[in-house]
Amino acid sequence: MTQENISGASPSLARLVQELNRLPGIGPKSAQRLAYYIIRLPDDEAYALADAVTSVKQNIVFCEECQNLTDASPCQICSDPRRDQTIICVVEDPLDVLAMERTRSFRGLYHVLHGVISPINGIGPDQLKLKELFSRLARPELVEMVVATNPTLEGEATAMYIRRHQGRGDLKITHLARGLPVGGSLEYTDETTLSRAFQGRQEI
Amino acid sequence: MAPPRTYRCEAIILGYTPLGEADLLVTMFTRDQGKVRAVAKGARRSTSRLVGHLEPLTVVKMSMAHGRSMDIISQAEVVQGFSELKEDLTAIAKGQYLAELVDGFGAEDSPNPSLYQLMVDTLRAVEGDPASDLPLRFFEFHLLLVSGLMPELYHCVECRVELEPDAHRFSPNVGGTLCLDCHPDDAHLRPLSLRALKVLRLLDRSEISEACKLSVDDSLASELKSLLSTTVSYWLGKEIRSNSFLERLNSETLPEVYI
Repeated sequence: MTQENISGASPSLARLVQELNRLPGIGPKSAQRLAYYIIRLPDDEAYALADAVTSVKQNIVFCEECQNLTDASPCQICSDPRRDQTIICVVEDPLDVLAMERTRSFRGLYHVLHGVISPINGIGPDQLKLKELFSRLARPELVEMVVATNPTLEGEATAMYIRRHQGRGDLKITHLARGLPVGGSLEYTDETTLSRAFQGRQEI
Repeated sequence: MAPPRTYRCEAIILGYTPLGEADLLVTMFTRDQGKVRAVAKGARRSTSRLVGHLEPLTVVKMSMAHGRSMDIISQAEVVQGFSELKEDLTAIAKGQYLAELVDGFGAEDSPNPSLYQLMVDTLRAVEGDPASDLPLRFFEFHLLLVSGLMPELYHCVECRVELEPDAHRFSPNVGGTLCLDCHPDDAHLRPLSLRALKVLRLLDRSEISEACKLSVDDSLASELKSLLSTTVSYWLGKEIRSNSFLERLNSETLPEVYI
């Protein structure tokens, strides 16, 4: 959206709308709604929002170990001696680390790729944090790598690429189980998921 | 009478991008309407009935509803999942190359059932023999054919003389093969060996199963690959992004542990 599109609005308001409109999933109408909401906010709340944006841009860095976004490198997880140093879980995005941590079932380390191989979108192995992963895999204390990329075509291709290019013959490489989601329905499940769920059936 | 609000179609999924909180914007090539972009509401939620049915390189039967700006996918069911193809990295990269080309050459509201069938047949051939590049060459050649861009292989495009069984030259810019006596000022001009010309003519009159049985040595394979992918890229008007990943997979040396 350009400033001309909201003629009548003040230049500073038009600028805010324009900047909000750049955010993913925010169309012109949503941008206007958010801008007017921000204007109506109490001063301290509006400044807190602006401060949070400034602070995140000034302070966030990549963790030198796991490549997750953090205020201080190495991040809390990588510098925690209670975490299991023998297992590493490879995920696509920082949000996946949060999702895994919410489960409280994994106590090892992470590695964030920041995307998946997507040739159609011009994203190849060099655009991901793969070089950093392969250098971490050389550590002898590491015994298992869980490749937790999404079970999509591009996620699976990235997992295959990692398996193919990691240089250790003694490393156990696993991926997360494939199958039915809680609350799902057999009738609407695709054949690949259903056959994998069947292969991974468990005794009850 | 108002047109029906819903319709059914069969399509190959070419790709998707996230949209909003949990939706997907799906690009597909349908048998009867050409390229279609439609919204799959809530498809990123793990319990969605659409999840797993909209993965790229999958043939899907769908129920769609006309939306205000874009159509909405209301139901989807996998017809052919190409699950073996999706277990091989090189085969996936080849499938993505095909998807990028169909996305580039396919047009919205422009049905091209021949292109649809060509893609399905080529995916089957890649699944059957992931190591062979011949399905891709067949696809590139027939993509030009079904798009109305078939290169001339039997007469010189300049002087129209019938081509002798000899080495010639080729340029996508002038529309095909040139005899050695014609010298147009053309930056895209390249040599064309007799062997390559014979293979192109064979691709023209063969079914994919027959063409994939051809035996070509490395030098001929390299000439065909360069000629056809350059021609396709010329008509597309841009670089084919997935080609570089495919070439990387073909050329790289793997760690000893994998070999």
